[in-house]
Amino acid sequence: MRLRVTLAAVLVAAAFSLPAIARDPVRGAEIAAERCVACHGMDGRSSLAEIPRLAGQQSGFITLQMILFREGIRQVPAMQSSTEKLSDTDIEAVAAYYAGLPSAAPEDRTPRDAALMARGQAISAARNCGVCHLPTYAGRAQMPRLTHQHEGFLAHTMAEYRDGQRIGIDTQMNGAVQGLSNADIAALAHYLAHQD
Amino acid sequence: MKKFVLGLTAVMLAAPALAQQAPVPGWAVGRPEGSTLAPHAPRLTVTPLAEVPVGAIRLPPGFQAEVFAHGIPGARMMAEGPRGTIFAGSRAIGRVYAISRNPDGTTRTRIIAERLVQPNGIVVIGDSLYVLAANRVLRYDNIEANLDNVPAPVELTAAFALPTEQEHGGNHHWKFASVGPDGRIYTNVGVNCNICEFDRDKFALLVSFNPDGSGRRIEARGVRNSVGMAHHPVTRELWATNNGRDWAGNEWPNDTLHRVRQSGEDHGFPYCTAGDPDPQFNAGRNCGSFVKPAALLGPHTAALGMRFYTGTMFPEQYRNMAFIARRGSWNRDKLSGYDVVVAHTDAQGNVTRVEEFMTGFRDDANQRFHDRPVDVHVMRDGSLLVAGEQMGAIYRITYRR
Repeated sequence: MRLRVTLAAVLVAAAFSLPAIARDPVRGAEIAAERCVACHGMDGRSSLAEIPRLAGQQSGFITLQMILFREGIRQVPAMQSSTEKLSDTDIEAVAAYYAGLPSAAPEDRTPRDAALMARGQAISAARNCGVCHLPTYAGRAQMPRLTHQHEGFLAHTMAEYRDGQRIGIDTQMNGAVQGLSNADIAALAHYLAHQD
Repeated sequence: MKKFVLGLTAVMLAAPALAQQAPVPGWAVGRPEGSTLAPHAPRLTVTPLAEVPVGAIRLPPGFQAEVFAHGIPGARMMAEGPRGTIFAGSRAIGRVYAISRNPDGTTRTRIIAERLVQPNGIVVIGDSLYVLAANRVLRYDNIEANLDNVPAPVELTAAFALPTEQEHGGNHHWKFASVGPDGRIYTNVGVNCNICEFDRDKFALLVSFNPDGSGRRIEARGVRNSVGMAHHPVTRELWATNNGRDWAGNEWPNDTLHRVRQSGEDHGFPYCTAGDPDPQFNAGRNCGSFVKPAALLGPHTAALGMRFYTGTMFPEQYRNMAFIARRGSWNRDKLSGYDVVVAHTDAQGNVTRVEEFMTGFRDDANQRFHDRPVDVHVMRDGSLLVAGEQMGAIYRITYRR
């Protein structure tokens, strides 16, 4: 049984792999230095609660979101100007750069709150967060890493999905957080932000 | 670990437990605990020509495949203008492309519309291009004369009055569109969930309209989500592909091919699929009372764009047969689809067999895929275009004796 489970997991993971494509993280670092570091921080470790940390983020996720920003499908003014006129290759390079940086918890991460942790864990189990983001919450392909993210940013993002203010490349996330209260979201964000 | 295996193999047992966790989003009804199946990531960046997997394509003897056009991220449903321009819609990237052929045989691709919500439904009537997005219906007049300077479209959204994005809740709100021999626009209204109880006069329909959006007529009820339809060139009947529900096991249900003999027929969703009662939503209905599909197209294969072959380049046996693009599965432990199949019919229009035509994109040994065919289009010279959404390429298939 253990073997079968392992095999299934490997097969599923493999289906998402893209063919080997030349992506240049050095070029990505140059673009990031010009366009990204002011908000997302040096080494992709933003210290601002409302700005996501990008170090170790899934390259597939970063690429897709940057395309959606550039195309005006996902509308965040700061990101629209930051992605303007970037070629697809440049976007893939930026994504490769950030994906290759080691992720780490924010220096100012709050201490764990036992009650919030328990409530967040229960919600995550009920909403199957670990199905797509994987049980480690490291994410895969188009589904982002959640660990080491700012708690405030996670809460903000989930509220946007719940309230229909944000749609990803599909509406899976809108469905996943449907009906959660602000307190539910706060607990879930606290729990997810404290995974390592 | 044990729980995981149980979840994978006993989907229906897991369902009642999930139903108690309100609210379960529509797309996840029936999702077994522990499954890690999730939709595959799309690719929305340009794939360089060297990486377009045309070399992987396998075809019957005498057929060849070439790259017709590439660098068209997310290219989906195709339509051809009277001057030969190929238009292609998309979903997530929000663009409509126009691909024209240069005198030397190369192609030029323009983006003629962008920032639309899933502009997947594309038809040409006369000189006008109709775009059916998830939230709008637009008409671009005299489009082929204005590819470099596209005028503002005529807004037909209110006239068509299709259910809104909000009413769909993000479920199956993208459109396929086709022009019937009667000049009407045929399209789908997908169901607003994976599977649920819903208004059967409003969702899971095939519908038709006059081109101005008036005269809505329900062509078929109980068709979960069709993203491919065409009229038979001889019988003039409407045929449609249909995507079966998710989270009911690896082998059930099949995606299906539907033949509509009379407007308004009921094809059974959500109560029955292909003659079988739904494990959760049958509601005591007799499945014999619904129209059965013309053919089964495989579990979770995502059968999408279909056209009848009306050209003369291919051998006689393909004349008037249905070519169907199968985008390929996600809600299945082993990949299925990722190919183009042909449904062969007899003189009465009954499907006699479904056979593989274009294969090679599905790598069974490694459980990976190279591209995802989403639509087919018969060109005037009889060659067949196949849109590959994942790699943003359009392939052209020709036949030489």
